[in-house]
Amino acid sequence: MGRLFLFYRLMIRPLLKEPVRAALTIFAVTLGVAVVLAMDLAGNAATGSFRASMETLAGDNDLEIVASGGVPEAIVGSLATLPYYIRISPRMEDSAVLADSNQTLPLIGLDLVAEANADGGGRALVTSSDKTFETNEDTIRQLQKADSIWVGASLGKKLGDRVRLLINDQVREFTVRGVYPDSNGSESAVVMDLATAQRALNRFGSVDRILLNVPEPPALDEWEQRVRAILPTGVEVRAQGTGTIENRRMLAAFRWNLQLLSYIALIVGAFLIYNTISVSVVRRRPETGIVRALGASRNAVLVAFLGEAAFFGVTGALFGLPMGRLMASGAVKLMAATVESLYVSSRPGAIALSAWSVALAFVIGVGVAVVSAYSPAREASLVSPVEAMARGRREYNTRVHKSRDLLLALVLAIAAAGASRAPAMQGKPVFGYLAAILLVAASALAVPAFTDAILSQSSRWLGKVLGVEALLGSQSLSASLRRTSVLVGALSTAIAMMVSVGIMVGSFRETVLIWMNDRLPADLYLRPAGAPAPDRHPTVSLELADKISKLPGVAGIDRLRAYEISLDGMPATLASVDLSAFRRDNQSSFLSGRPTAQVLAEIRDSKAVLVSEPFTYKHHVRAGDSITFSLGAARPSFRIADIYYDYGSERGTILMDRQTMLRYLPDPTPSNLAIYLMPGTSLEAARNEILQASSGYRVLLASNRDLRAEAIRIFDRTFAITYALEAVAVIVAVMGVAGALLALVIDRRREIGLLRFLGASAGQVHKQILVEAGLLGLLANFAGLALGFALSLVLIFVINKQSFGWTIRFHWPVAVLLGAISVVYAATVLSGLYPAQVAVGLNPLEAVHEG
Amino acid sequence: MAIVSFEKVSKDYLTDGQRVHALDDITLEIERGEFVALMGRSGCGKSTLLNLAGAMDFPTSGNVVLDGVTTSALKDAGLTCLRREKVGFIFQSFQLLHTLTVFENVELPLLLAGKPKARDAARERLDWVELDGLGDRYPHQLSGGQMQRVGIARALVQSPAILLADEPTGNLDTITGNVILGLLKRLTRELNTATIMATHSAEAGALADAVVRLRDGKIGEIGRR
Repeated sequence: MGRLFLFYRLMIRPLLKEPVRAALTIFAVTLGVAVVLAMDLAGNAATGSFRASMETLAGDNDLEIVASGGVPEAIVGSLATLPYYIRISPRMEDSAVLADSNQTLPLIGLDLVAEANADGGGRALVTSSDKTFETNEDTIRQLQKADSIWVGASLGKKLGDRVRLLINDQVREFTVRGVYPDSNGSESAVVMDLATAQRALNRFGSVDRILLNVPEPPALDEWEQRVRAILPTGVEVRAQGTGTIENRRMLAAFRWNLQLLSYIALIVGAFLIYNTISVSVVRRRPETGIVRALGASRNAVLVAFLGEAAFFGVTGALFGLPMGRLMASGAVKLMAATVESLYVSSRPGAIALSAWSVALAFVIGVGVAVVSAYSPAREASLVSPVEAMARGRREYNTRVHKSRDLLLALVLAIAAAGASRAPAMQGKPVFGYLAAILLVAASALAVPAFTDAILSQSSRWLGKVLGVEALLGSQSLSASLRRTSVLVGALSTAIAMMVSVGIMVGSFRETVLIWMNDRLPADLYLRPAGAPAPDRHPTVSLELADKISKLPGVAGIDRLRAYEISLDGMPATLASVDLSAFRRDNQSSFLSGRPTAQVLAEIRDSKAVLVSEPFTYKHHVRAGDSITFSLGAARPSFRIADIYYDYGSERGTILMDRQTMLRYLPDPTPSNLAIYLMPGTSLEAARNEILQASSGYRVLLASNRDLRAEAIRIFDRTFAITYALEAVAVIVAVMGVAGALLALVIDRRREIGLLRFLGASAGQVHKQILVEAGLLGLLANFAGLALGFALSLVLIFVINKQSFGWTIRFHWPVAVLLGAISVVYAATVLSGLYPAQVAVGLNPLEAVHEG
Repeated sequence: MAIVSFEKVSKDYLTDGQRVHALDDITLEIERGEFVALMGRSGCGKSTLLNLAGAMDFPTSGNVVLDGVTTSALKDAGLTCLRREKVGFIFQSFQLLHTLTVFENVELPLLLAGKPKARDAARERLDWVELDGLGDRYPHQLSGGQMQRVGIARALVQSPAILLADEPTGNLDTITGNVILGLLKRLTRELNTATIMATHSAEAGALADAVVRLRDGKIGEIGRR
């Protein structure tokens, strides 16, 4: 207890005498912890614990039977003939849009009569522990009506309400026959009888999935074998929920990248803790000597300074917890929107602040603080009593091993280059991340030499140009090189992340813009209304497609169709284009560089396919390889004719000719139409004609330009969370600069007081501090730009490539970078305002006559 | 006319809630060319009196008039100008900036005042204190005596009306200290400045034209030659 008391008196109470500086340091840790926690919580909710929308009401079944394009209905009969007692639940699974609110909901068709009668009739149909359909005779009668639906309670509907639903491209009216209790409002769905769903979706003869509930024993493996034995080729049986697991795996890289980005703020915070403890060590040298002379061990000194760091860590974590929880609410919305846009339609799970999350916050806060403080704390423990108490040694300049550190920086940079050439490990760019960390470390080690070189060469020149205040300011920074270097290191790391991500996103954006030129050759694009998602493919009515193709002014239409399939345990998209229809193809967008016409001719009505670049990365295939997958009632093999760039989705796509697909999946309805106009046809006139022809259908018609604009809007939104993370890192760094400048002012009060004696005005003192802030900002900007460029290469050519498989063309977003750097520079200069005020407010008499 | 005069000056400080009477009803006039020693025990008010004379602080009551200007009538900007023009400070612990060379330390007041030809003036002052040739060295490369000479040169660079020296020989050995005192005395006479020096040194007292003994914030006696 005595030691704790001593710790408080010697280490904590002095912090209270500088509340602003202490608060800035704590806030830096708070932000770092909050961001990491927020990304962890949001990641869990948006990707880790999400359930694909179609898992709504899936209940506690054991197995599922799936097939590309749908499972033939006859399978249900085959299963029923098995000499076992198993519960068979065929399902239609799609989506419907509430016409009034545009809210997209899962549409689930169930054999409600069979479900109700499964236990002998008249008993509650339990679909999961908290969802119950109460069945009675009246309900069964309602089942037979073609417009009957059941909805989750969170939709706020009641029995008898009429609901207009957009299904594919048509709006139909339904009557609510029942409301079921959905938990926490996130799993509401539209449920209808299987037959009703098949009619609404215009898909007859097949179901989307068959769920099986089997008794134990035997084990599940044995059941899979029994069921597989009666299934035709192309139809698969697997554990229920496999789709969810596949999606989670697919989302892992996305989540992993965001999680790592969130650690940047923490790394910047680590610099600042290092600086804070270093300052503390220097200031307390005389006290350290006294305490050692009075009997404290080296270990006690080490623990004392580590304890000071832990204090910052614990306090930062305490504040970081609620802040992180709050930030997670915003983050999950952004992440969920990205998941929905690029991966799979889903509802995020609830944000759960568990004991693990709380532990994570403290481990991060305290861990980073203690690790950062170790070096200066160890230095303090090595101070001998005599040295620390020497009179007249007012200033102690920590030795900075510039040359040694520069050499080490070079070694690390070379190691980084080597690491960046290593392949991914289990689909994760582990060596890419290592390369990034090595680059950051190399930069931190090179900063002292860089800072010293710039300051020593420029201080007198600065004095001539900006006045004696600039000379004094630059020399002051040079004299405390270690502190200056740490500050420049912290700020430059934050700037580097901003620059590197800015370059990566800018390059990506530019690549996507160029890609869209090739990929969107048609004049107009038509699809069913409703929010799009990579795994949702509502269809356009055949009659409408035919009607549009016959309009004057329409040269031709390309009927595109897509299905969701599973390949090698990963979800993928199977799509077809109509190569026999009129087309107008742009430049080649194939990895081989071959002309488009040549490549398409190769896959026309043949067993050759094209695959997207992300597909090749996920499935480790290349042009010329063969891929085999279930398609309808078959399991054909296809040769990969070429690979195309695809930035629309990260899922991976197989593209074939429509004629080839129809052979296996005979449903001719398209998912969307690419419409080519006759030369000279007015776009507006054609648009109006098409919309007129589409009256009675709910479709969206977009011009080529509108589609690109929408694609870019989704792209920008995808990176919103990345920008937010960068902004936090920069804020932490700028606050750190403010806190450190304040410390510098306080430690230089004698010098500042002396200047006042020598005739310096308040304005001149003010100017000197602002010049120091400006110099720090300038040094950090230069260092940050250099490091940022290097990191951007790793991000673009290693991490992004290995995570998602995308090829990105390097591009300098000059305007964006200049703007961002200017804002950071201005913020850094402004961060000097308060320390400058403090400097002006110092009493020179006290300052000069101290000690 | 006196270059600096104290008219019934008192100065109180508040330290941790306690009122301390640093100076009590001081009346004193110092003429140009006078070399005055302020003597007394520690805490008798020597440094306080120097600070008031140098317009670094204000009296609680009474007036301090520096070259005809009452210091309490000025705001910060005016005081800064007055200090630049009229006052040179010399400190016990030299108070040089270790990141600047000797030349740069000496010319600093001129640079702060935005005056031209600062280097020439610095060179001349270093000549006065017999330190020509050491202008490019840094303070840590000088002896204590040399550092104090640099401090004196810096104090003289603006040709001030008064020089205020707070224990200028306190950190020096006897021989070096005597050399410094001799230098100060000579420059006071040659430049016709007034030098007020707070000191414990009997040698300094012996060299002074007037010795003002302070006791508990009051003037005990003034001995003039």
